[in-house]
Amino acid sequence: MENQKFYYDNKIVKLFLLATIIWGVVGVIVGLLIALQLAFPFFNFGLEFTTFGRMRPLHTNAIIFAFVGNAIFGGVYYSLQKLLKARMFNDTLSKIHFWGWQLIIVLAAVTFVFGISTSKEYAELEWPIDILITIVWVIFGWNMIGTLVKRRVQHIYAAIWWYLATFLGVAILHVVNSLALPISLIKSYSIYAGAQDAVVQWWYGHNAVAFFLTTPFLGLMYYYLPKAANRPIYSYKLSIIHFWSLIFLYMWAGPHHLLYQALPDWAQALGVTFSIMLIAPSWGGMINGLLTLRGAWDRVRDSAVLKFYVVAVTAYGMSTFEGPMMSIKTVNQVTHFTDWTIAHVHIAGMGWNGGLVFGMLYWLIPRLFKTKLYSEKLANTHFWIATLAILIYAIPLYWAAITQWLMWQEFTPEGFLAYPNFLETLTQILPMYTIRIIGGTLFLTGFLLMVYNLFKTMATGSVEANEAAEAPALVLQGARNPLSETVHRWMERRVVRFSIWVFIALAIGGAVEIIPMIFIKSNIPTIDSVKPYTPLELEGRDIYVSEGCYTCHSQVVRPFRWETDRYGEYSKIGEFVYDHPYQWGSRRTGPDLARAGVITGPMYKNAAWHYNHFMDPQKMNEQSIMPNYAWFAKNEINLDMVPNKIRAMQTLGVPYPEGFDKIAVDDLMQQAQKIVDDLKVSNIDIEPTKQMVAMIAYMHKLGKDISPPPIEIVEPETTEQTQEIELLSGEEDLAAAKAIFTTTCVVCHGADGKGIATFPDLTDDEWLTGSSPSQVYQSISNGNIAKGMIPYKNQYSENQITQLTSYILITLQDENSK
Amino acid sequence: MKIVSNLLENIEGIQIYYIIGLLIFFVLFIVIFIRTMKRPNKEMEDIKNSILEDNDAEKIVTS
Repeated sequence: MENQKFYYDNKIVKLFLLATIIWGVVGVIVGLLIALQLAFPFFNFGLEFTTFGRMRPLHTNAIIFAFVGNAIFGGVYYSLQKLLKARMFNDTLSKIHFWGWQLIIVLAAVTFVFGISTSKEYAELEWPIDILITIVWVIFGWNMIGTLVKRRVQHIYAAIWWYLATFLGVAILHVVNSLALPISLIKSYSIYAGAQDAVVQWWYGHNAVAFFLTTPFLGLMYYYLPKAANRPIYSYKLSIIHFWSLIFLYMWAGPHHLLYQALPDWAQALGVTFSIMLIAPSWGGMINGLLTLRGAWDRVRDSAVLKFYVVAVTAYGMSTFEGPMMSIKTVNQVTHFTDWTIAHVHIAGMGWNGGLVFGMLYWLIPRLFKTKLYSEKLANTHFWIATLAILIYAIPLYWAAITQWLMWQEFTPEGFLAYPNFLETLTQILPMYTIRIIGGTLFLTGFLLMVYNLFKTMATGSVEANEAAEAPALVLQGARNPLSETVHRWMERRVVRFSIWVFIALAIGGAVEIIPMIFIKSNIPTIDSVKPYTPLELEGRDIYVSEGCYTCHSQVVRPFRWETDRYGEYSKIGEFVYDHPYQWGSRRTGPDLARAGVITGPMYKNAAWHYNHFMDPQKMNEQSIMPNYAWFAKNEINLDMVPNKIRAMQTLGVPYPEGFDKIAVDDLMQQAQKIVDDLKVSNIDIEPTKQMVAMIAYMHKLGKDISPPPIEIVEPETTEQTQEIELLSGEEDLAAAKAIFTTTCVVCHGADGKGIATFPDLTDDEWLTGSSPSQVYQSISNGNIAKGMIPYKNQYSENQITQLTSYILITLQDENSK
Repeated sequence: MKIVSNLLENIEGIQIYYIIGLLIFFVLFIVIFIRTMKRPNKEMEDIKNSILEDNDAEKIVTS
């Protein structure tokens, strides 16, 4: 057979690797910024463009799609050509792929900074960018399959199956999850609502982990690990079995992100079952990776590349054990909504993805540039710094998760929440957030060492853009000869048929999860009292969505006593039928807001409180880490878009009356005026068209429809105060009261009791309902709902309220008189 | 308001999705497992080693 001459395209590999390095630095720096923001709210800089809510999606997207994405493409383009002994199918497609992907990244960064976001985690980009992603992704697949078709080897090596699964998996996930109804170039509504949206989103979210962070990396592992170790992969049979099991099982597991939430039991059980089963194929990959190094461990001591691979594969094994454990319901109640998830993803992200990328770069760049690595010692230093960084990052967060969870669910002997104020549970873990910053800084330091080392390496060599090679042409075998060829072997050389089988394996799991959720009506029992959002509330919701409030606030109360006591009635599936998109969130850095509008509930705050809190959260409570949103009082809502939004909602099946779009603006102005009037009572002047008004309306809508109608507020009957209160002047009592006062009461009355903004001064002689001990006791006990004070008898025991009364009437009055 | 729970029982035939899905998985798993295990080791070795047979392998610098 005559040899054919051809050229490998090394230039495209170089471009992708450079992009990997540059976006990696950006992604890690933004990560460090948001870590700083969580410990020190100053780092939100008081600007709307740099709040945590906007920066967090920037970090996750930059790491996943820019850093990891470019690394995948670079790694695939190099190994695919070598494995298939063929140049990439088409140079133009390669170029469009590269530049298109960079354009997407830049557009993503710009839109996030400007608050353009769909708020679907890891799919926050708006519809025009989603379409661009689809086009570029198809070009990637086309280029890859084209290369497979013109290959010069018979067999398609294991790594490439993973690449194919990646292409197909992401294509299915991205298209299904991104379906939305656009109302302008920068705004769309998800076509799914509430629980359906949640299922589709986490089917996507979970499988983005599978098909963007796992399958392509297993593919890279199957090529680069044997190459670096100069040892063949441990077991090829294992690679076949774990490939098919893994791609089949992953698709089913999405609902484990929604345990105890407003989702049918069957869907939760499905997610749990398949998550546990996933341990086996995942560990198949880990075992195959680690055992490849058998007999080569002496080389691990010296080689930074192999060290990074060992950490990567080990982190993969740990994460894929931890993940299934986290999807067991009892474990999940601890790990969900706490920092456990954040630690988990960083073990996987920094260890598995980071480790493989670093190892690959240290191995590939010297080869590409036909030179030696500038400094092996520096690479080893990077390894140790990065490994240490992962531990310093993750351990404090595991600690923080357990601490916060224990605090959330602790009750006093009297049966009240021990820490009724959410902020207490957060303040407790802020030191852990500070330690995390050290972890992040170390990781960045290591990363920069690598950048220096690699650029120095590049300077000493040069890339041969078109590397000459030769190989005999492939003679396609005809039909399968049953004697000499097994079915699998035959299938592997039929790339298109192979892809179709992969597609089917992927589609089954997704179909089982999604079809019943969307097409079986009885899945979503409707609740009659739940009404669509008014135009003003919808505006507020859109602001909530675009600001990324979901990054810190959940909107789903799980059916635990420690949640219902803290927030109110647990969430029902039928409450969310008009939510396009859903806003359940995944981490509670702030309290859950699902019951923020339940007037008699523990989460309710009046309009003046919300106004003051948005303007300056730290004024309301020094320890708060929420960024301020003062521009809500300046920025206008766009009234022109209101009718469009209503019509879009109608298209999506929200039952607004016919022709409501025409009167929507009037409706909005009427409701806004009521809030403006309410604020005026507290001496706050604001125009009805400001974003602040819409946000307050939205806060007051949350949970309102399922709460009993507000009871007539009865002024406390002064005659009924038969209960005499003895003030408790003991030091212990006053100290206990001070602890409660400084965590709960300060939010409105200030640390010195003189009142914040329009909230009453407790140290002067003006008392709305009298200042005798029993009258103050009654005021605390029953609250004043009209003024925004909730009845504290639901949160504190009689003794604690007596202590508080004493603290106000003894300590505060004393301090004031000094 | 009626508390919505045990939805699994309220949806007729929902368990069929489970059963079919699991059946497909286990049948395929067994078939793939047996077929893979029956493949000759020699063939597997050849494929495994094929990726190391290019110039890259000789250039490996370990320290």
